[in-house]
Parts: sequence; C-alpha cells; structure tokens
Amino acid sequence: MKYRYLLYIMIIGLLFSCKPELDEYAYDSGSADFSTYVSLGNSLTAGYMNGSLYRTSQLNSFPSILAGQFAKMGGGAFEQPLMEGEYGIIAGKLKLGYSTDCLGATSLGPVPDDGALDPIASIGKMVNNMGVPGAKSGHLLFPGYAQFNPYFARFASDPNATVVGDAMAMNPTFFTLWIGNNDVLGYGTSGGVGDTITSQTWFAGYVQTIVETLTSAGAKGAIANIPDITNVPFFTTVPPNGLVLNQEQAAALNAALGSLGFQFAEGPNYFIIQDASSQIGFRQMVEGELLLLTVPQDALKCEYMGAVNPNTGAPNPIPQQYVLTLDQIDQIENAITGYNATISAIATNFNLAFVDFNAILKEVEEGIIADGETLTTEFVTGNAFSLDGIHLTAKGYAYVANEFIKAINMKYGSNVPMVSITNYEALELP
Amino acid sequence: MRKIITLTLLFALGIQVLIAGGYQVRLQGQKQTGIGLIGTPFNYGASSIFYNPGSLSFMKDDYSFSGGVSGIFSNVIFRAQNSDYEATTDNPTGTPFYFYGAGKVIDDMAVGIGVYTPFGSSTKWADDWAGRNLIQEISLQTIFIQPTVSYKLSDKIGLGAGLTIATGSVDLRRRIVPPVDGQFQMEGNTTAIGFNAGLYLNPIEKLKIGVDYRSKMTMKIDDGSTSFTEIPTALSDNFPASGNFSAELPLPANLDAGIAYAFNEKLTLAVEMNLVFWSAYDSLIIDFKENNEQLVDSRNPREYDNSLILRLGGEYKISDKLVARAGIYYDPTPTNEDYFTPETVSLNTFAFTLGLSVMPVEGLSIDLSYLQLEGLEDDRMYTPDNFGGTYHARTFIPGIGVSYSF
Repeated sequence: MKYRYLLYIMIIGLLFSCKPELDEYAYDSGSADFSTYVSLGNSLTAGYMNGSLYRTSQLNSFPSILAGQFAKMGGGAFEQPLMEGEYGIIAGKLKLGYSTDCLGATSLGPVPDDGALDPIASIGKMVNNMGVPGAKSGHLLFPGYAQFNPYFARFASDPNATVVGDAMAMNPTFFTLWIGNNDVLGYGTSGGVGDTITSQTWFAGYVQTIVETLTSAGAKGAIANIPDITNVPFFTTVPPNGLVLNQEQAAALNAALGSLGFQFAEGPNYFIIQDASSQIGFRQMVEGELLLLTVPQDALKCEYMGAVNPNTGAPNPIPQQYVLTLDQIDQIENAITGYNATISAIATNFNLAFVDFNAILKEVEEGIIADGETLTTEFVTGNAFSLDGIHLTAKGYAYVANEFIKAINMKYGSNVPMVSITNYEALELP
Repeated sequence: MRKIITLTLLFALGIQVLIAGGYQVRLQGQKQTGIGLIGTPFNYGASSIFYNPGSLSFMKDDYSFSGGVSGIFSNVIFRAQNSDYEATTDNPTGTPFYFYGAGKVIDDMAVGIGVYTPFGSSTKWADDWAGRNLIQEISLQTIFIQPTVSYKLSDKIGLGAGLTIATGSVDLRRRIVPPVDGQFQMEGNTTAIGFNAGLYLNPIEKLKIGVDYRSKMTMKIDDGSTSFTEIPTALSDNFPASGNFSAELPLPANLDAGIAYAFNEKLTLAVEMNLVFWSAYDSLIIDFKENNEQLVDSRNPREYDNSLILRLGGEYKISDKLVARAGIYYDPTPTNEDYFTPETVSLNTFAFTLGLSVMPVEGLSIDLSYLQLEGLEDDRMYTPDNFGGTYHARTFIPGIGVSYSF
C-alpha cells in the first residue's frame, strides 16, 4: 500500500513539483492559551547576561524566545522593558578581552565593557516580561519593591505596586514562573556572609501565594525549579588547590606552618582561607570547597593571598567572602533541595508544566551537544554561561526556552516548536 | 577529556558524498539509464565498457562510439527535530558525462576505452543554516578512465576486464562551532586505480545473463589544503589560514548481476541486482598535518552497511527507428542509523526511469533518458552532533546521448 501511495506521489511530483516538500508543521496550543503570556522571575527571566541587563540580552531572554514561538499559535504581543542601549542601567557589563596581570602576563578573560548607561526611569508602560534582576521569591509579593529595585521601577505601574499584582493586571492566560535562585544565591555569591537563605517555610508560603494569585483567573503556566548553583562557573572556575609551589616554597611554608598541622608539597596545594571557627582564624581549604570567581586574582598571584608572605612570614588567608566552605555548601544544597520539593509539589497541586532545571544543569555539566555545538558549565569555552559565570548566553537561554517548550508540550498537549540553538550567540572571542 | 571530545567534534568533517553520492546512480549510458539503470545483461555497444566489459566483444559492428551527458536537478528539504525550522538545499546542477570508443581487433576480441564520471555530486545548504556546523557545501568531481579488453570465448560466453584509473577532487565548506565560530574549507584531489571485470552469457537466444565486478578503490588524499577564516584573533595561531590534511576514502566494490529475457522481437524484460560493499566505509579520518592543542585530527564514524539495489526494466521496439524503455528500482540507504549526515542525504530511494532511442539512420542512435528519484521522507539523526530531523529528497535527471556504430 505504501508503495502505491509513493508511486502516486511520484506521478504527481513528475507533473507538478520540482521541489520536495514536507507536511506543514502542526502548530497546536493544545489545552493552553498563549494569547497573553507573562513571565515572572529574576535575572534569569529578565535576560541578564555578562553582568548586565541590556537590549541585546533582553531580546535573547528565554521568555522572549518562548513568546516568539507562541506567536505562531495565537500568542499576542510580548512587551519587554527594553533598554535603549547595550550597557544597561548599572555599570558592570563584561566582555572578553585582554588584560595584563600583576606579573605582566597578558591573557584573555572578562574585562569591563563600559558604555553609556540607560537612565533609571520608568518606561511608562506595562510589560509582559516581569523578570526582575535580584528578586527573591518574597519580593514578587512585596508592595513598594520598585522603590528598592530600579529594574522593577522601570516598569512598575506604581511605586507601591507588586510584581504579581502588575502581572495580574495584564490578565494573563499563560505564565512562566522561575523564582528562588536569589533566595539562596545571594548567600552563595557573598561567600555565605553577605546574605541569608530564605527559610523553607517562608519560601513555600511565598511561592504558594504567587501561584495561587497567578492561577486565580484561570491562567495556565509553567514553573521551573532551582539548579544547584554551586555548579555554575562562578563557583567552579577558580581551583581551590591553585596554590602551585616549587620544592623550596613548599619547604618554606611547611617551616612556617607545619607546627600547626599544615602540609604543603611541591605542585598544587589548597589555598589558606579565613575561618573563624578555627582556633588560629585560618586553615587550608579541603576538597569540595569552592572559590568564587570574584576572588582577586592579582592578590593570589602577587600578594601571597591564600599563602604566606615569605618576606614577613605572615599568613595571608583568602577572606571568607570569596570562599564557600563545606558547611556553607551543605546549607545551600539543603535549601535548594527543600525549595525544589516545594516547587515540585506546587507544580503538581496547581497542575502546571514543570521544568526540572536542577536535573538539566547536571546534564549540562556532563556536556550537551545540539546541532554540533557543545554546551557545558565550563567558563567561557562552555558556550552556555556568560562572563559573569552565573547567567546564561543567548545560546544558553535558547536551550532554557526549549526545555520550557518540552515541559509545556508534555503538560498541555501542545505542539510548540523548539528553536535551533545554533541560531543564538555564545560568547564573542576577540 | 571533555575538551578533547568537544574539539574533536569541531572537525567532524565528512566527505561521504564522494562515495555514497545520493547519486551512485550509474548514468554511464542513456540506454541503460532508461531501462532502470540495468546494464550487465546487455550489449548496448561501447557503453558496455562500464556496465559489463564481458559483453563488449558481442558488439555487432566493428567500431562503436557513444557519448552523452545528464543534468542532475536535486533538492533536499529538511525540518529540524521537534521544530518548525526548515531548510532546503540549493544544489547546483550536476552534469555527469561519458564517452566510450571500442573496436574489434579480431572477430572475437574487442578493445576500448571509456571516460566517465560515476561519482559526482554537489550539496549546497545556505551558509547560515542550522546544520552549518556539519556542512555548508560540498562538491565532488571524479573522472574515470578505463582501457578495456573483451574476449568472446564462444557465441555464448564473453569475458572482459578493464583497468580503472580514477581522478577525483573534493571541496568542502563548513562552520567551526562556537566558541571558535569560524569558517573552514578544505579541498584536495587524488588518483586511484582499480579494475572492472565482467562475464556475459547468452545461453539461448532469448536469454542474456551478465555479471560484473568493480573493485574497491581507495581515494587517498595526501596533500589536501585547508583554510580557516573568520577565526578570532585569540585563536588564529591554532586555526591557520592555510594548512594541509590527508584523508582516505574507500570507493566500495560493486557486484552486479542481471538477467534479460526477450519475450518476442519487440519486448525484453530485465532484472538486476547490485550488491554495493558499503561496509568498507567505516569511518572518515581527517589528519591535519599540523596539529595543536585546539586542532586535532578527527575520526568520524560512518559505519555503512552493504546495500542491495533491486532493478526491474523493460524495452519495447516500437519500430526499427524507435525504442522505448522504462524501469524502476529501489536503492536502500547504506547509512547507519546513528550517523546520517546532511552532507549527502542518502535516504531509502525509490526511482523510476524512462528512455527513448531514435535511430534515424543505420548505426546512429539518439538516446534520451529521464530518471526521477524519490528519497523517501524519513527521520534521521547524526548522533555525535545530535543533529537530526526529517529529510525528503527529490531528484530529476534528464539525459541525452548519441551512439554510432559501423
């Protein structure tokens, strides 16, 4: 039967068509309604990239990519609080460039990318992408958050508005919610000293309220969980055993600190860090502990940070804001496990599409290949993470968008097409 | 380790078009093309040099010449897996040609020479298409020269063999994946030697049987040139503007066997099978002459399987001046399930042929053929690059030739 059909096609082909064809793609929104889509979340939803939120990064935010696909099956316009320029409202954007370190060695790495900033002012309209860089779960419900967060101030309907309230004012038919990273990330990026971890009880209450509100008028949506943040390049790039010694230096360090139980050998050694819980106030790092990307590299290289100054004999431990200890990592991971249990339960209770970014980041760690391109969690060469080591590249966000699409299609029986990640940029090498 | 894998993938180059050619269709004679590309159980004059040297000595006249050309109009459409992303090739028109000359030295022995292009293809995708990291454009040309001797052992048995001298060139362009994100091109040419031997049987007048074997050839490119452009300055030392590579490509052996039966003076039907020893194509290794930590040699799995092509054709003499032909065949893909690349979209292919010979004067034949191939729509994947989707190919090949015997 199949061949008769084929023969039939061939005869028609001979008569009418010179080009091969495929059946039209079957666009289908399933049981979802994409006509008014709003996205809520933090910097990852806003499209933060390379240490900044700027026009190109916003245009490559995962909600923007998603909305582009939704538009093919009934999705309406998707407003973003777009910047005018490429440098955002706060300085700090990074680019890949050459810099010369204290030893006079020039190397390629993140360098400041300075340019004219956008003004911190309201853009005077409501937007669909309500990703607010810096937002924790509770912030989305906090009246007056715009007075503390200039990113929200740009599109808040009122200085006392809440993010969720403004979202509801859009009358959404569909939403994505990816919140909770900052409830633990601030603790992590400050080495466990500059912020606190949101309690499980509060987190569960916040997310419950947010989702209750968002679904109160019948909107459907997708919710994503929290990846293990200690596996992103911000925490994994600087090696904790980067103290490379020759025989002579190791002997000198052993002479200075051997009596305190420290041991150094020729080759790589674990750095010395501050630790208030140690009797002498410092100790050597141990396997599994992490150094932050922000640790001053020149101090490590030229000021004996993490080692002992041979001229004075004084130890120069790395300050604790650049270090995550095993205990701190445990706290972070326990918090994430708890948050994710909450998110997963809420996804089930509210019958939402669920995106398991915790599992997805683990896959990316192993290396994911798509269209010949490889995404890993490696800094710079991994293609997924931008130069701040926490936020994604456009390619990374396209991958995120595809994961949302997979989950949405599975939940709602829709057939939203995925995007080709080759069509999105990774980092640009000079 | 991961870095090594990544960088190896950067160079997952392939040139299988050289040997697979969605077009290992044998356009080496318009008469044979018209009858389903069946050639072994026939003597159509000098073109037997390619199809079956064993039947060459059965040519009726003392001298036979034949030449022709075809136009390959081919296109592929692709839709990415789980996506509405579509791309279509913009392939240039291929023009394979052939020329044969043969003469009888003595009554039972003929010698001849053939020049033909059995492998040749062009695939051109848009430079910015989603598969650009696998292939943007590949073009291949080969020319085979085959001096041939054929001997008629009796009125019922003919043997023949030829030495095959092949020259080939390949030109390939593709993108180097991020973070390098540059442009790569390589080109090379080579020669190889093989043979073509055939046996022809005519046990009873109405029945003709042919068997032909064409040997495997290894196209070994020793001094191909590479070029990297649009490379970030930071990596320009690793990806030099010019360099050299070597690579080896097996052209697989073919075993063909066919039977033709003349039901009456007008109608002849024929069947043929071609066993193509594609398993010779296990992997493609690109050896860059100058390696560095970024630029490593690449081993690309292909793992082809042998394939069996089945053909059915018929010929009908409308008059002394007019012969019509038609045929069909099925050519299953030799590609491995895990290693299907868009360089050569070699799908399971169903084809039909039409042919017409006009003989205005004694000895002269003007031969027309038409071949249409339908690469059956299928979901295919190149797993090392995780690139795949739905492919559908269609090819039209009109051809014209002239033969003259005296």
